[in-house]
Amino acid sequence: MTTKYLAARNVEEALAGLDDGAKVLAGGTDLMVHLRRLRLCGAGLPEYLVDVTGVPELNRLDMDADKPFLGAGVTFRRLERDAAVARRYPLLAQAGAVVGSLQIRNLATIGGNVANASPAADGLTALAALGARAEVVSSNGVRHIPLEELIIGPNTTCLVPGDLIVGFKLDRPPEGSAQRFYKVGRRRAVVIARMNLAVSLDREMTDPRLVLGACFPSPRRMTEVERLLASETPGPELWREAGRMAAEQFVQVCGWRSSAPYKVPAVANLVSRTLESTWAELGVAG
Amino acid sequence: MNLVFEINGSRRSLGNVPCHATLLSVLRDRLGLLGTKEGCGVGECGACTVLLDGEPVNACLTAAWKAAGRNVITIEGLATEGLHPVQEAFVDSGAIQCGFCTPGMIMSTYALLKRSACPDVEDIKSALAGNLCRCTGYKQILDAVRAAAAKMDRTHDDEVSGG
Repeated sequence: MTTKYLAARNVEEALAGLDDGAKVLAGGTDLMVHLRRLRLCGAGLPEYLVDVTGVPELNRLDMDADKPFLGAGVTFRRLERDAAVARRYPLLAQAGAVVGSLQIRNLATIGGNVANASPAADGLTALAALGARAEVVSSNGVRHIPLEELIIGPNTTCLVPGDLIVGFKLDRPPEGSAQRFYKVGRRRAVVIARMNLAVSLDREMTDPRLVLGACFPSPRRMTEVERLLASETPGPELWREAGRMAAEQFVQVCGWRSSAPYKVPAVANLVSRTLESTWAELGVAG
Repeated sequence: MNLVFEINGSRRSLGNVPCHATLLSVLRDRLGLLGTKEGCGVGECGACTVLLDGEPVNACLTAAWKAAGRNVITIEGLATEGLHPVQEAFVDSGAIQCGFCTPGMIMSTYALLKRSACPDVEDIKSALAGNLCRCTGYKQILDAVRAAAAKMDRTHDDEVSGG
């Protein structure tokens, strides 16, 4: 059987391949595992792959622009090491650094992380905290889809064959924000998150962001917790209350599962401690 | 269309490589380079670590066609005349028992020492986090990486074919 592999050089080539029935290949760290499983089961393998990682638009990283843009083909290794990412979006750099291993981070892309839509994906928690809106192109045109609408459930997106994620527009955090990304797993490296957390705070609490990941079917900002943070006086009591509220919402959405006696206190402590350390970084007196 | 890439310093051209083939299957089954091991096959163990344009990747997760026009180095590419200093250090430090993880460990170590001549313990642990060893308990491997750093610093002999 003759198969076809297209290393697309631009968006037009990629879309032409997709319209011709090709499947999208980005870093491949999820797709190649999936194909291995198909091969072992004797199931049919794709006959046409279009590799989109060489498309210039997908590699654009424009953190300092008025409308910051993160290309879908940017690898986690690049997020981990890029100076502008570390300066503008430290939580994105921190998330990039804890994905898989170095070997995986050299391949895996932020766009692939979104398209795969694992509930435990570290990239999704980080992007949700930054209000990411995906730029999706197809031969029918361009759509801008908020991340929380793009991912409609575990490993499920609203994308259809022919769609290509070009990148993500990100909110600009208020000047002087402090950000944290934290991951809880069975070990420190090469681990799938049991839970992860992205937090962004500023001194005036004008736009606090808090996303708890791997605890819900799809990424979401905890808007009630964010409202609480914006309305009360910052301090140990508020951090405790925010942790308690996050744990309560976790149970409301996911029910009281067998893991709940472990996860509920972990959520509460993870949220309150991360808020405390993020606030401490802002160095507000009192 | 043929898949053309540089492997351990030589240019190779292969026909009939399916779009879904892994770089690992091409190295082992088409080129007979059996030094690169398949451990888990899903990117967890690092036994298949090779360098793609100088950066460590899991060959089991890398589509073979991603290597087109690029440069791949495997464990076979390290030793030129006698063992490479990183290989010597692994032997001398007792960092090998069954040896299955060793090619991957050595490729990750080699990539680390190319980036940073004098890595501290945390750098080493982070660089090797994607390489599992079920025999040595890692102490001897950490010793080997430090010994390799000292050797390479002394000899400046870090020239690898195509690297």
